[in-house]
Amino acid sequence: MKNRLKVLRAERDWSQAELAGRLDVSRQAVNAIETGKHDPSLPLAFRIARLFDMPIEDIFDDGEAQ
Amino acid sequence: MSTDVNPELSPGEARMRQRRRREIITYVTAGLVGGVIGFLVAFADQGDGNLFNGDWDKLVLDPAMAVGLAIALVLGIIVLPLWAFTVSDELVRERNYIGYTGGCMAFMGLVPAWALLHAGGLAPEPTVPAAWAIGFFATMGTFAIAWFRIR
Repeated sequence: MKNRLKVLRAERDWSQAELAGRLDVSRQAVNAIETGKHDPSLPLAFRIARLFDMPIEDIFDDGEAQ
Repeated sequence: MSTDVNPELSPGEARMRQRRRREIITYVTAGLVGGVIGFLVAFADQGDGNLFNGDWDKLVLDPAMAVGLAIALVLGIIVLPLWAFTVSDELVRERNYIGYTGGCMAFMGLVPAWALLHAGGLAPEPTVPAAWAIGFFATMGTFAIAWFRIR
């Protein structure tokens, strides 16, 4: 699943470790999500959406949107 | 439980460090449990067996020692990993799920396949240590693949 996490993080000038701390996950988890190798759980996706104050579908793209 | 939180850390960062400490404690405890079991079996064995050579049928232990070691083994190989699942990061948990799935599938599929080959006269009789080794190394191998692919 594609996502804009890397862009959103870069816009705030956060490191992966900093974002990981804010999301309460490991830095490796952030990296795996950014590179599309790991799809976050629904609770984590909600935490990401709340952190960036955006709807989930504006961050993650499953390729099914019209 | 004391979390000795550094006031300069965000709550998320503090929890992440705490989780990392728990992971280290888990690995160290698992290693210690394995080491103690290996040492005690070698020390207390009254037969001619060897836990690491695979001749488990020749091991002879005092009943109380056998019960104690069996409990330690269950704690180290079942209870400790289950507890670790509850405190680990979701990425780590996913890798562990994949690893254990690989080990379980290898055990359930390869051991009976081996037995069938033995029945056909094409392989030696399956042994318990070898069956355990199939599960163990399949788990480690699958976990390693997951670790390299998901990071």
